[in-house]
Amino acid sequence: MLSISGFQKAFEYIDLIKQGMICTLSLSALTVLFGFILALVLAICRLSNFKAAKFLATVYVEVIRATPLLVQLFIVYNILLAGISLPKFRLFGFIRFERFLPGVIALSLNSGAYLSEIIRSGIQSIDGGQTEAARSLGMTQWQNMQLIVLPQAIKNVLPAIANEFVTIIKESSICYTIGVQEIMYGVNSIKGATFSIGEPLIIAAVVYFCLTFPTSKIIAYFERRMSRGDRR
Amino acid sequence: MVTGDRLIQVQHVKKHYNHGAIKALDDVSVDINKGDVMVVIGPSGSGKSTLLRSLNLLEEPTEGSILFDGVDITQKYTVTPEGKKVKLDINIHRQKMGMVFQHFNLFPHKTILQNMTIAPIKVKGMDKAQAEEKARALLARVGLEDRADAYPIQLSGGQKQRIAIVRALMMEPEVMLFDEPTSALDPEMVGEVLEVMKELAASGMTMVVVTHEMGFAREVGNRVLFMADGRLLEEGPPQQIFGNPQNPRLQDFLSKVL
Repeated sequence: MLSISGFQKAFEYIDLIKQGMICTLSLSALTVLFGFILALVLAICRLSNFKAAKFLATVYVEVIRATPLLVQLFIVYNILLAGISLPKFRLFGFIRFERFLPGVIALSLNSGAYLSEIIRSGIQSIDGGQTEAARSLGMTQWQNMQLIVLPQAIKNVLPAIANEFVTIIKESSICYTIGVQEIMYGVNSIKGATFSIGEPLIIAAVVYFCLTFPTSKIIAYFERRMSRGDRR
Repeated sequence: MVTGDRLIQVQHVKKHYNHGAIKALDDVSVDINKGDVMVVIGPSGSGKSTLLRSLNLLEEPTEGSILFDGVDITQKYTVTPEGKKVKLDINIHRQKMGMVFQHFNLFPHKTILQNMTIAPIKVKGMDKAQAEEKARALLARVGLEDRADAYPIQLSGGQKQRIAIVRALMMEPEVMLFDEPTSALDPEMVGEVLEVMKELAASGMTMVVVTHEMGFAREVGNRVLFMADGRLLEEGPPQQIFGNPQNPRLQDFLSKVL
């Protein structure tokens, strides 16, 4: 049961949660970055006329979406990176890199697939006339994508992207299973030290909320800024 | 204005869909000379727009060739005057062919000024200040200098189409292609767009105009093409096409629209 003294005891180890927070944020930020790049590549492959690229990207997305993240994480950690000895140093003085990196890779590979579907639907939502106008002005296919289609496409799907970013922060908790010292790892350590699980869990929930809620608010701000062209 | 120099040569162009089941263009040949204001008329589905869109390869013809300034742009490669075989860059040719669309196709996420300067800056590498100066001058020419910082959604249809015209002019094209430029406009806005087009024609611009505005065809065009079923059925100066039509399909068409 929860108790005031339980919280007091848990707060003695609050540094573990603070470290977890730094780790969760780094993990999520890198995942968002790499996941987004991967998603752009996948989305463009799936919409290209190049059959092989289209096929490979489609297979990739379907496989990732049809298997659990936990399985993907374990495959990356135990199989993909098993033969490679990663440098054993500590980020920010405490995050074990050789566990952190597989976490980033697995999360990026996973979120890249989901984000690519979002971006693809965004690109497809843009009227073909936009591309025709851009091409008739002499823009290359890539200039059209970069200057005309993608800015509009991403704006249209920003709420869905925000949702995915928030999901990444929450799902990064799964990385504690391979020993990444994120928030849930901190919870487990406090449980080991204080013999109570309830209080650290409540603290973790509050911390997660404090991370995800502002994230969605920040993206909502950008959404308003980007929709300047929509208002009369 | 008409010089007789051939700018675009359309040679036996065919555009087939479903392995020839649908013939959007069926062996069309026509030369467009510098200074021509060529108006293409015909019932809907006659292939007028397909022909126009083939000129800058937004539609790729199934067969035939389109020569622009003597270069066959339907080919993947071209031969330089020095006899070297190089890859044909369609983007270079498209820069010389401005296009105006039925639905304007302004970029909604860019201001009017950005709509006009983005291609000159990014495609031609024009200096930003220089591009903006040029854009403001063109805006003044169509009476919209005060809308430079507005977004397309804040403009009326007629204003949007005038912007679309000057956006294309920013690239200093050799020919302007108009794809039913007034068909999506409210009737009271048609005049302002036609006015800009008339002015453009008077300045000597080579123009190919697909339109249902017979008044414009008669008044501004120096050549009128009549198309039906993907074929070019009759061609001539407006006096002849409207005053003394030969082809029964044209006679029938004119009796309905005039």
